[in-house]
Amino acid sequence: MSAVTEATVAESAPVADAPVAVRAHQLTKRYGNLLAVNNLDLTVPRGSIFGLIGPNGAGKSTTFAMMASLLLPTSGRITVMGADPSRKPRTVRRRMGYMPDNLGVYDNLRVDEYLEFFAASYGIARTEWTDLVDGLLELVDLSVKRTAMVNSLSRGMKQRLSLARALVHDPELLVLDEPASGLDPRARVELRELLKTLNGMGKTIVISSHILSELEEMCTDVAIMEAGKLLAAGPPREILERLGGSRNVCVRFASGASESFTVAGDTDQAELLRRLVVDEGRDVVEFIEESGGLEQLFMSLTEGIVQ
Amino acid sequence: MMMNPVLSRELRERMRTGRAFVVVGIFLLMLTLTAYLVYQGSTGSGDISTDLARQTRLGRDLYEWVLFVMLALVLFFVPALTAGSIAGERERQTLLPLQVTLLRPRDILVGKVLAGTSFMLLLLFAALPVMMVAYLLGGIRPLDGLKGVGIICVIAILLTLMVTALSALTRRVQTATLLAYGFTALLVLMGPLLYFTMRVADGSHGFDTENPPAVLLALNPITIVADATSGETSSNFTSNTNPLGWARDEVVKAKGLNNDSWFAWFPDDNFRAQFRVDRRDGFPAWAVGAIGLALIAAMLSTFAIRRLRTPAEAER
Repeated sequence: MSAVTEATVAESAPVADAPVAVRAHQLTKRYGNLLAVNNLDLTVPRGSIFGLIGPNGAGKSTTFAMMASLLLPTSGRITVMGADPSRKPRTVRRRMGYMPDNLGVYDNLRVDEYLEFFAASYGIARTEWTDLVDGLLELVDLSVKRTAMVNSLSRGMKQRLSLARALVHDPELLVLDEPASGLDPRARVELRELLKTLNGMGKTIVISSHILSELEEMCTDVAIMEAGKLLAAGPPREILERLGGSRNVCVRFASGASESFTVAGDTDQAELLRRLVVDEGRDVVEFIEESGGLEQLFMSLTEGIVQ
Repeated sequence: MMMNPVLSRELRERMRTGRAFVVVGIFLLMLTLTAYLVYQGSTGSGDISTDLARQTRLGRDLYEWVLFVMLALVLFFVPALTAGSIAGERERQTLLPLQVTLLRPRDILVGKVLAGTSFMLLLLFAALPVMMVAYLLGGIRPLDGLKGVGIICVIAILLTLMVTALSALTRRVQTATLLAYGFTALLVLMGPLLYFTMRVADGSHGFDTENPPAVLLALNPITIVADATSGETSSNFTSNTNPLGWARDEVVKAKGLNNDSWFAWFPDDNFRAQFRVDRRDGFPAWAVGAIGLALIAAMLSTFAIRRLRTPAEAER
């Protein structure tokens, strides 16, 4: 029996489908005196695109490493797709694709060989490799680079190849640590579209990024962390409203004039539109919520604490 | 059955670069040069085509010189080709994606060791024709040639295992390479150095017997090859005009000083007798050495497997 297939037998106990993809309860990770993650309570709904936001050193990567069965929590508990990564790491690894924040790729392999290597590492039969690699390369738009050497790829392409690697065993959950770092604007847009496509395929995506506008456009849920602590979690708009945050709305009229308004929440926004159109009878041609909500939220919640 | 993924990837990457072919070329060139120099050195003093005894001695000498150089090249190339195998994964940050797959730490180590070993075996089998020049001259049987290459294969496998394991203990290729060469030097030099230092120390006391444990000489790749290639039939032609011959002589002397035992220090005669080489079932030097190296390799591999585990697995 091969190394991998032998290994897969041991932990084949079925795990009941969890209503949530990831649940952390009082999750704590300590490195000596440094408290990297502090009593984190987190729920990632299935099928969501969940953004984990926080400044450097907030504990995002440590949280991801605990999800990926790479680190043991000092205390507390985490379950990923219903399984405890510290007790059933192989079950978790089978159902989760992890893309760390650094791009570790083998330069002397071709793109297809690279993916085949990881397919073999997940115990996927050789007969399935060709179709699998074709499908993955098409998904990440690297089909034309199939026989190119990995070291000839641009950073954005390597990033997409890494994503394809994380998808090689068709996981239900994708954990992506800073996947957009170092990408140019076009590559970022392409990555965002790709993640939306994957989410449309039913995959739950947990992602961290410093580029808040990216997350705001894409995430259904976010969690904001600082110094290992969770500051807020939930759908961005809900958090804003819960915290009494305001947002700016830009209104353009038929006359060509435009005005900015500050509203407190959805109700306020609807009331503003009603007032302008019904009460004042003005010809509104554009009613846009200005971006920056998540950024505002992040800035108002975090204090720039460095551990 | 699926081939170890790490092995197939390593072989593919290794054979794709020109380095592999350069190494094969250097290896064969050095061995051919050795054979040529030994042959020239011996025939320079006159025609040997009619002197069968000289031809036979030349054949044996050539065989032992080629074996010695082959061993030296193995001791040089194994650290060069293997030291970065796991440290390189850490340095390139490719180990983490590997650790989150279904591969176990031992699969990674086995793949790396098999890849390193396969390449060394390719080198050694490519060298067989050079070895067989000695057979054409006489002095060795084909079996001796195979035995010589066989024992060097054993050393290459054990050394690859040890160096790969050491590679798992470091984070940078440069450190791993230094460590691998340091370790290999220690393996070759430490036993003889300790032995001769203890012998000088014994001698300086005047009343003490000069009998440091002979096992110190056995735990050495040169001794292992020297002893394994001194077959009963061919021993008549054994010469001490090459390093293998010298090593063989020193081991015989050391055993003589130790009452033909590897461990003269053990007080229990019955236990000591188990290690006597004059017994037909006693352990020969090459077996003692190979077992010693295998134990070191096993110990290092255990550490390496521990180092290849994720922090979570290590803590658990």
